[in-house]
Amino acid sequence: MSAKDSHEGMQEIDITKLTLQQLSQLKQRLEQELQMYQSSLQSLKVAQTRYLNSKESIEKISPDCKGKEILVPLTGSIYVPGKVADADSVIIDIGTGYYVQKDLDSAKDYMKRRVAFVTEQMEKIQAMGQEKGCIRDAVMEVMEGKIQQEIGLQKAALARAAGATAGKS
Amino acid sequence: MAEELHKKLQQEVENFQALQKQYQKTLSVRQQLGGQLFENETVKTELDLVKKDQEVYKLIGPVLIKQDIEEALQNVNKRMDYIKGELKRVDDTITDMEKKQDSQRDVLNKLQQQYQKAQLVAATKN
Repeated sequence: MSAKDSHEGMQEIDITKLTLQQLSQLKQRLEQELQMYQSSLQSLKVAQTRYLNSKESIEKISPDCKGKEILVPLTGSIYVPGKVADADSVIIDIGTGYYVQKDLDSAKDYMKRRVAFVTEQMEKIQAMGQEKGCIRDAVMEVMEGKIQQEIGLQKAALARAAGATAGKS
Repeated sequence: MAEELHKKLQQEVENFQALQKQYQKTLSVRQQLGGQLFENETVKTELDLVKKDQEVYKLIGPVLIKQDIEEALQNVNKRMDYIKGELKRVDDTITDMEKKQDSQRDVLNKLQQQYQKAQLVAATKN
């Protein structure tokens, strides 16, 4: 929401007309947003690798796995031997506690779809992040200019004051 | 005079900070709700893709319970409606809080100006 706001603001307001305080507020907000994008990207990356791993695991299952022995993890550290009873389908977590039984091909398809979706989101966020970065750079440039201007003005005022006192004495 | 103003200014600053904190909290609630809605949407699209011969399970505690697709879809739809209602409510609170923050900011600015003026007056008197 705030992302939308500042975006609209950028189109309406000429940043050179803002005061230093407003500029630094804007910069702060942009930086916050950039940080948010970074963390989103990171979690998307994690999701992406998880889907890719699942896809790889599915690819290792073939119909002739049926009846073969495997070790089934009961917890992270306890395994019991078992036999593969059904090598034709897997059960997939589709979110909010729902699981769907799918045959291998549609399971692979599901993983592919998820990876494609996550990758697409990552690209979008990257593009948005780049845009925000550009805006932040522009804001910083204007800020720099304003600060220089301010310093110049102060110096001029000081010089004038010094000149005035010199003239008096 | 300046002393009084300073106290008042501090009070208002505290009020403003409290408002901001609350605002941040509501924002994160909104984000969470948005995420939940999105998750339910993906689940719904996935459930729509489920074929007749495929089975749907629901995780209850540590066990998977077989479920009817229709029932699952209904459940997800109901949840989405609820989340949408909540989102609307939170959105309303957010706009409300934004207004409150703006007015508080105005109050602060005015007080600050008054305080600065009072300080200037005090300085010239000395």
